[in-house]
Amino acid sequence: MSELNLVEKVIALEGVELFKALTPDQLARIASIATEVSFAQDKTVIEPDRPMDGLYVVLDGGVALSRNGSELHVARQNDVLGAWALFDNDPMPVTARTVEYTRLLRISREDFYDLLSDNVEVTAAVFSTIVKRFRKMVEA
Amino acid sequence: MRHLRNLWRSVFDVREGEYIRTSFMALYLFFVLFAYYILKPVSRALFLTKFDIDRLPYLYILIACGGGLLAYLYTKVAVRASLTVALTWTTVLSILCLIAIWWMLQFRFPWMLYVFNVWVSLFSIVLVSQGWLIAANVFTAREAKRVYGILGLGAVVGAAFGGTFTSWMTRHVEPRGILLASAGMVGMSYLAFLVVLRQKGVRLTGAKAAEAEDAEFEFADIVKAIGANRHLQVIMGIITLTFIVDVLVEFQFSAMAKASYTTEAALTAFLGSFYGIYLNLVTFVLQFFLTTFVVSRFGVGGTLQIMPVAISITSLMTIFSPSLLSTAAVRLTEAATRYSFNKTGMELLYLPLPMELKNRTKAFVDIFVDRFGRGLGAVVLLLFAQYVVSDPKRPDPRQVSYIVLGFVVIWILLSVNASREYSRTVRKRLESRRLNLEDSRVRVTDSATVKLLEQAAMSPNARQASYALGLLGEAAGYDLAPQLRKLVASPSAEVRSKVFELARAIRFDGLLGEAQAEVPLEAASSGAAVAYLLALSPDREALFARFIDRPSTADAALEALTEQRERARQWLSAAWISAALDSPEAWRRALAATAIGLRGDDVTAPLLRLFEDSDERVVSAACRAAGILGSRACLDSVVQRLAHPCLRGVAIASLARYGARIAGSLGDMLEDDAVSLSIRRQIPRVLKLIPDQRSVDVLLGAIGNKDLTLRAAALKGLNRLREDAPGLNFAGPTVRQQTFAEIKYYFEMNAALAPFRTQDTPQTAASLLARTIKDRLDHTLDRMFRLLGLRYPAKDIYSAYLAVRGIYTGKRNEEHLTAAVEFLDSVVERDLKRVLMPLLDSAERLTEVGRDLLGVDPKDAEAAIRDLIRSGDPWLRACAVAAAAQLQMKPLTREIEDAARGGPPDLARVASDAIAALV
Repeated sequence: MSELNLVEKVIALEGVELFKALTPDQLARIASIATEVSFAQDKTVIEPDRPMDGLYVVLDGGVALSRNGSELHVARQNDVLGAWALFDNDPMPVTARTVEYTRLLRISREDFYDLLSDNVEVTAAVFSTIVKRFRKMVEA
Repeated sequence: MRHLRNLWRSVFDVREGEYIRTSFMALYLFFVLFAYYILKPVSRALFLTKFDIDRLPYLYILIACGGGLLAYLYTKVAVRASLTVALTWTTVLSILCLIAIWWMLQFRFPWMLYVFNVWVSLFSIVLVSQGWLIAANVFTAREAKRVYGILGLGAVVGAAFGGTFTSWMTRHVEPRGILLASAGMVGMSYLAFLVVLRQKGVRLTGAKAAEAEDAEFEFADIVKAIGANRHLQVIMGIITLTFIVDVLVEFQFSAMAKASYTTEAALTAFLGSFYGIYLNLVTFVLQFFLTTFVVSRFGVGGTLQIMPVAISITSLMTIFSPSLLSTAAVRLTEAATRYSFNKTGMELLYLPLPMELKNRTKAFVDIFVDRFGRGLGAVVLLLFAQYVVSDPKRPDPRQVSYIVLGFVVIWILLSVNASREYSRTVRKRLESRRLNLEDSRVRVTDSATVKLLEQAAMSPNARQASYALGLLGEAAGYDLAPQLRKLVASPSAEVRSKVFELARAIRFDGLLGEAQAEVPLEAASSGAAVAYLLALSPDREALFARFIDRPSTADAALEALTEQRERARQWLSAAWISAALDSPEAWRRALAATAIGLRGDDVTAPLLRLFEDSDERVVSAACRAAGILGSRACLDSVVQRLAHPCLRGVAIASLARYGARIAGSLGDMLEDDAVSLSIRRQIPRVLKLIPDQRSVDVLLGAIGNKDLTLRAAALKGLNRLREDAPGLNFAGPTVRQQTFAEIKYYFEMNAALAPFRTQDTPQTAASLLARTIKDRLDHTLDRMFRLLGLRYPAKDIYSAYLAVRGIYTGKRNEEHLTAAVEFLDSVVERDLKRVLMPLLDSAERLTEVGRDLLGVDPKDAEAAIRDLIRSGDPWLRACAVAAAAQLQMKPLTREIEDAARGGPPDLARVASDAIAALV
């Protein structure tokens, strides 16, 4: 299967909650730093004791999330893993393991920060989403 | 001699390039006041001669209600009209009215005298306020502080001449005849205005005939604000009492004048001399020579008590010895102290209120409270005539004085309360650090405020103490040294830092020992202490050598030399710079760069070397030095740093320091596709900091650039420049053409979006295309209004933009929308309005409007995508290609193949995938 083009990457990123307030052009800028990675079946994507260094979007295949050996959820197409890892490098208390051959779109934290430092309007949009989320949590 | 020159400058500080503007503005006010001081005595004398004195309260009520209503209506219209147009119309109408009144008065219709007097009250409000509004637009805030004294002098002399002229002319012609001279003076004032208008740098294009705040208050809001704010209640109480007493005193004086002068001519001559000469001159002397002293000696409370106390003294004189002289003394005291002490005291009383509340309240006071007070005064007079006096046609002045004394007692008590309220509010504002003495129109600081500031400066709260100390530094004529001596021992580094900063600013050298002790502490105040020592210590050269050799003090030492270039050349030797350039320590290399900038030598090679340094601090210092030197050779190196996020800020500031001479070079780069977009996008941010016509011209050249982000950046830059330098020329044909181009693009995008409005399946190419077009529409709307903001009043255009945006973002606000429609309808030129207004009032029929007005035909999905693939917008093309593939639009294969062959890499890739999907 050939690698995703820019429009396909943007479509995949549209599902990421953190990027909800971004315009298509801004998403295209994020898509330009997103890289495709693939994993064979039964490979570990996220380990509970390893700090995360980026965000993953499932393009196809499936990733099972489990905690202490019990499965919580299987992430499928357009689901996101580690959305907040872009701002927090503490390890996630879950294990993510592929249930079949899986393609993921990865955005590394370092590249994301570089992009933010160069695109103030993207930074503003991302922060607006974060603030809305906090407000929702506070008001809930 | 120097003292005399300084004194002269403090009153008449007119500078090069301001002479003609100042002279003719003063002449404008001279002629207007000349005209008014003909009208005032003539109108009042004719009325008093014709009618018995008991009719005067009815005239007061008519002026309060009728004049007030007319003034309010005028404000509502004027806030939308341009100042130039309003002034032209006012002048023409005033002259025509004066001729008509002159003609009508020969028939001796009694009602005509009421009309005449009401009209005169309106004349003073409109023409005089217009004069000060022109002055506010012709002079900057700084210039205004210097030249307003001269303008005021022009007004006083005009009034004196008007009064004298009236008094003299009544010996030769009947009072009615002098009205034509008044019309002549109005005409002359207009000629003076035309001369002002033709002066370089004078542009009244965006100026309105009334301040927006004058019309932008809601009655209910103000009443609510007054109900909740004791300070405002006191202000309103004092103002109401002031105008009640004003009416009573004027009535008393008019009654005595009428009894003393029985002919029209004699009464006119007397009133002309009284109002034009005596009253004006006394007011002038009080305002110029006594008010500052009184305010600083007695504070707000004391200043506000002078007027009622003075009135009570002269009223007592009237009670003991009623005569024209004693009532004239009351009137003179009342009016002169009202325009001098009371006016300044009231300005101070407003000072601690929040700016927005202050503006709204002042507008409310000018339009309603003033008239309400006078109307109430008239009602008091009617009750007085009904129940107190035996013969209303011949009132006893002593009885009026008793009533005046009654009101004055309440007034004095209220003034005492005002002083307490004022201190309470100032204290509260100080606590929240929202007291601003610099913005105040009052040039004196009262003793109560100074005392409060001194207390706050001793506060344990460091922020508040520094803030209060800073305000004391701004207070006119205040001796700061004792406070600085006390506060240098403050435990807070922030306060000590402020102390050294202020001591340096006022060149007070009594803290040298304390500063020496401060430096080794390496606290937040050390930098300020270093700067202070280097500015005032007799051993500054030796100190500098010591400071420059330590990383903790080196930056502050060089910073202190920024404004002392000559000293920098003496103290920073070439050998020292050379050694620092080769130092292995980055902080020394950065110092070397700063030192090069300070010395001002043409040392391009070492500076260029520093641009290649691996340490960002060094490159940053090199950028700054290049900006200070204005080095052409380093220009490209600085420009390249615009692409670097961490160095961008300093690169922008440095390039701005080069000034307008690099505007052309930056313009070339802005237009050059070979230069990276990340650099080109920053160029408007540089140009907006250079308020020069060349910056404007370069940015105007970029408003049609094919890259939409560059277009938007150029427009943002232009909007900012217009805000900072409204005198520059922004309204060229390019702006007009581009506005039409943007509107047309908006309709084209709207037509392209129409077939995809229902594409709401998330995460598909078609929905992405729809979102992208919507985004283009939003940004085009933004650019359209930014363009309009270059031609019309920017603040109003922004409000209109918000209202229009509300329609398209589902946050429609009918009230704002109506205001926007009204505003755009009244200011925008006809052909532009024809295509612009449908965006506001026909949002549901935009496709039809686009077809009818601009020939933008509605499209089906395939035609829309075809046009988008052929457009010059790479991202929109990519989305359109992907949507064509998703929707299986095989007839578009040729266009997609073209995109795959000739498009940029990302588009070519999307197109290749689309071709594969269509096969």
